[in-house]
Amino acid sequence: MRFQDAVKDARAVVYAGIQADPLVARAATLLADATPAQRVLARAVMNGETTDTDGWRRMFPTLFDEGDPARTARSAAILDASLDVAERGEQVRSQFRGALVEELTAILLARRVPPDVIRRERRVLFDGVRAEVHPYDVTVERAGAAEVYDCKWGARGINADVLHQLDDARVHATEVDEPIRVALVVFDAVRSCEVRLAQQTAPTAGTTLVALETLDRLATRPGAAA
Amino acid sequence: MTGPLTLADLMGRALDAYDALTTLGEDVEDEWTYVNDLSTAWRERMEAVSAARGAEPVSEPIAGAIDGLVDEVGRITDPHRAIDWLSTFPQVALIAIGEAP
Repeated sequence: MRFQDAVKDARAVVYAGIQADPLVARAATLLADATPAQRVLARAVMNGETTDTDGWRRMFPTLFDEGDPARTARSAAILDASLDVAERGEQVRSQFRGALVEELTAILLARRVPPDVIRRERRVLFDGVRAEVHPYDVTVERAGAAEVYDCKWGARGINADVLHQLDDARVHATEVDEPIRVALVVFDAVRSCEVRLAQQTAPTAGTTLVALETLDRLATRPGAAA
Repeated sequence: MTGPLTLADLMGRALDAYDALTTLGEDVEDEWTYVNDLSTAWRERMEAVSAARGAEPVSEPIAGAIDGLVDEVGRITDPHRAIDWLSTFPQVALIAIGEAP
């Protein structure tokens, strides 16, 4: 088993520009230390129609309570960054949201493993097995303890292709006695993810789900094991 | 004379808006089953909270939060966006009333 950079086609070059945008790092850094409710704020604003700051503050009264200045300050910073994403326009914000989940995943993983083993947009290759076209979003590349993550903004992004790709990597790695942990990181509620997963016929038993409420496990548990 | 606004009243408003969102999401035919399964799962959660705490009077900030949320989803015209909000709406509503999603 070995890892390899993805082919840099035109789409990948454009997306790399999105990934490198300072706004992605700014938002992900804020969300890495956010509460689940603050993460829902970010999700709502980046999915939202309005870009009215006061309107969003009104919808989240528990996050903007004057009795807790530290929480209010962080919530305000998350709201500002989320509005900056929302104001980029529908197509661009969709790409930003995907890049944000990947960056957030990498930041949280770096609290558990050395940053130099965390890679992005990588393929996993096995001798005699045709390589998948699409790379994995985030990988942890350590001998005997590799981890592979696919990242989604919402539960609706969970589909058969993604689940098969993750499970194929797990199965092939097991066949060569180099087990890897595979996980799906979704910036959406567990309940929504479970509804989506229940509809899938692709294998899910060997894939860990990391949802919005459990993101912090990336920083503490290998493969975000449940 | 009407009594104070209760949590059941407020969740009633939220569920009406949620039903409209579900109807809009159903326009994406390929996702009809997902839309309805998702809507059912979250509706059950919101209804359970309403049944348990429905008699509680609600404060102005909480009522304002739900009204703001109902206004927000009322602006949505894109069925794909509606599907995003079928998951997001209940999370925001539940946080506003002090519940974990």
